[in-house]
Amino acid sequence: MHIVVCIKQIIDPEVPFHLFRIDPVTKTQIRGSHPLVISLYDEVAVEVAIQAKEKFGGRVTVITIGTKEAVQALHQALAMGADAAVLLSDPAFEGVDSFGKARILAAALRKIGSFDLVLCGRQAGDVEMGLVGPFLAEELGIPCATLVSNVVSGNGKIRLKRPTETGYEVLEAPLPCLATITNDETNVPRYASVKGIRAAMRVPIPTWSAADLGLDLARSQEERRIEIDEMWIPQREIRCELISGESAEERARNLALRLRELGLI
Amino acid sequence: MTSVLAFCTATVTSIPRSALEVVAAARSLAQQLGGVSAQALLLGARVEQQAYALIQHGADEVFLVDHPSLASLEDEVALGVAEYVVRQMTPQVVLFPHDDLAGGHVAPRLAYRLKAGIVTDCTGFAVQDHEIRWLRPVYGGKAMAYFRAQGPIQVATVRSRAFEPLPADPSRRGEVRPVDINPETFLPTVRAVERVETAEVEEGPSLDRAEIIVSGGRGMGSAEGFQVLHDLARVLGAAVGGSRPAADMGWVPHSHLVGQTGKIVAPKLYIAVGISGATQHMAGAGSSKTIVAINKDPDAPIFKLAHIGVVSEWEKVIPPLIQIFREMRSQG
Ligand SMILES: Cc1cc2nc3c(=O)[nH]c(=O)nc-3n(C[C@H](O)[C@H](O)[C@H](O)COP(=O)(O)OP(=O)(O)OC[C@H]3O[C@@H](n4cnc5c(N)ncnc54)[C@H](O)[C@@H]3O)c2cc1C
Repeated sequence: MHIVVCIKQIIDPEVPFHLFRIDPVTKTQIRGSHPLVISLYDEVAVEVAIQAKEKFGGRVTVITIGTKEAVQALHQALAMGADAAVLLSDPAFEGVDSFGKARILAAALRKIGSFDLVLCGRQAGDVEMGLVGPFLAEELGIPCATLVSNVVSGNGKIRLKRPTETGYEVLEAPLPCLATITNDETNVPRYASVKGIRAAMRVPIPTWSAADLGLDLARSQEERRIEIDEMWIPQREIRCELISGESAEERARNLALRLRELGLI
Repeated sequence: MTSVLAFCTATVTSIPRSALEVVAAARSLAQQLGGVSAQALLLGARVEQQAYALIQHGADEVFLVDHPSLASLEDEVALGVAEYVVRQMTPQVVLFPHDDLAGGHVAPRLAYRLKAGIVTDCTGFAVQDHEIRWLRPVYGGKAMAYFRAQGPIQVATVRSRAFEPLPADPSRRGEVRPVDINPETFLPTVRAVERVETAEVEEGPSLDRAEIIVSGGRGMGSAEGFQVLHDLARVLGAAVGGSRPAADMGWVPHSHLVGQTGKIVAPKLYIAVGISGATQHMAGAGSSKTIVAINKDPDAPIFKLAHIGVVSEWEKVIPPLIQIFREMRSQG
């Protein structure tokens, strides 16, 4: 089974609120000195792909749209256990919306040629629209399973686990298909081993441009259907009433009394 | 006349709150656009009564797709039905609840097929000169943004609890129009072949309904630590929730995850223990009337987002707290 995982590199979303800045003109987060990471659900998707490879055999390719810096994200996925990686990079890719991104990824998948399963995180950890996965399935014209957390069997038809309110369900899909990945306790991303990190550095990573993909993105640039008009940081601080008390036990008592006074318990 | 169409599902016994919320959003948007009707598309099995209820809750007209096969709804069947109805009725805007079915599957694929601009997980909108700007949090709630969607039709999904359901008004009148379509003509390529219930039958109230929620984070340290929260919840008659690390470590089932990608809750009292207060978590807990934070780190961001704070290790506060609540209970 050949699994292709689409990942996005983002500024670490765990940056604390007080260090978070935006550029009101470009309407994006200011990078500052914050680290770049693989977007959380995409990293989970890499984990799911590697687990599937371990269970059912096959290979894993990761692809990303980004600048040269995004090679770092591909290296991390390789170090976790992916076999190959491709960087999709071109100035023309900048600023396209989710429709445009799906076109770029679909062109890359066609160039890769044969694949059985395409995985995308359920949503990126920055703007979190959750569109690229389903859009890509449409663009490729393949079945789409959403919000699944693992591959439970991989022969012929594929079976996927999807968490539900009260447990989980097993979805069956023909191949090739695309799945968007959510997290559960079975797919917490592994750390790369030192050996994995070393091996990853030796894997050549080709860069494909719009021309390599035979893409004319003028149309995607013109036809942007999703646009950010304005962005701001809301002021949301609440005055927190701190419960006093010498000992923890006294604070516990004062808390209980305060909650009763407020009629909350 | 153009319209705003709200996508709703229901069962024979109930209408989910999310359906009433999208109908309320559609009503409000239709009013602000002016001269536009608020329609609903309702899918389900034996749900005709619910269609009339949607009218009482704000819809002018309901397109009803009522079929036994819709008792359990496959994503692609819902997509097929939605696409069919939207192409027929050509509304100006289609609104969905931002849930797993619609937000995760139907809305994005429908938007793609219609070449419609789409904005997901909206918490509001602003209308000016008949132009809609969609409001939504970005960067895990650290910033807010207005989006514009272009295209022949606009699609949006609305975040749970961003809109209040309108109270039922029995005097409201409207048409319920059965749609002449057999949902079984949409053959799903992806099918559920097995459903497994793993959640233990829960004691106490559900997260959605609970007046009090006790929620734990990474700071609880272990599954055993989490047990103490269950004891606290029991004396308070509260439901138990958790942050993402707590859910990832299996201390609390994933269905009890509170936050942007989990449940959005709005209890009277939310007690967050060993939770740092990440915006992604607070996106799910922020509408609680009173938030109490118990955290050992006085600089934890949650102390800027909670109404009442206790700086302490939970190990030292929760056991006496349980004892005190017990005493209060027995004293009545
Ligand atoms: C796209 C995306 C979506 C996300 N969605 C969600 C979501 O829906 N829900 C969610 O919760 N998170 C979500 N997250 C994760 C979120 O960003 C945070 O990582 C997470 O909420 C942190 O959980 P926590 O507060 O339990 O852990 P930490 O941030 O590690 O905080 C633990 C806290 O416990 C305190 N503590 C430690 N020991 C003790 C003790 N003995 N007594 C008292 N206090 C103690 C510490 O001081 C600390 O403040 C999402 C992230 C991304 C990128």
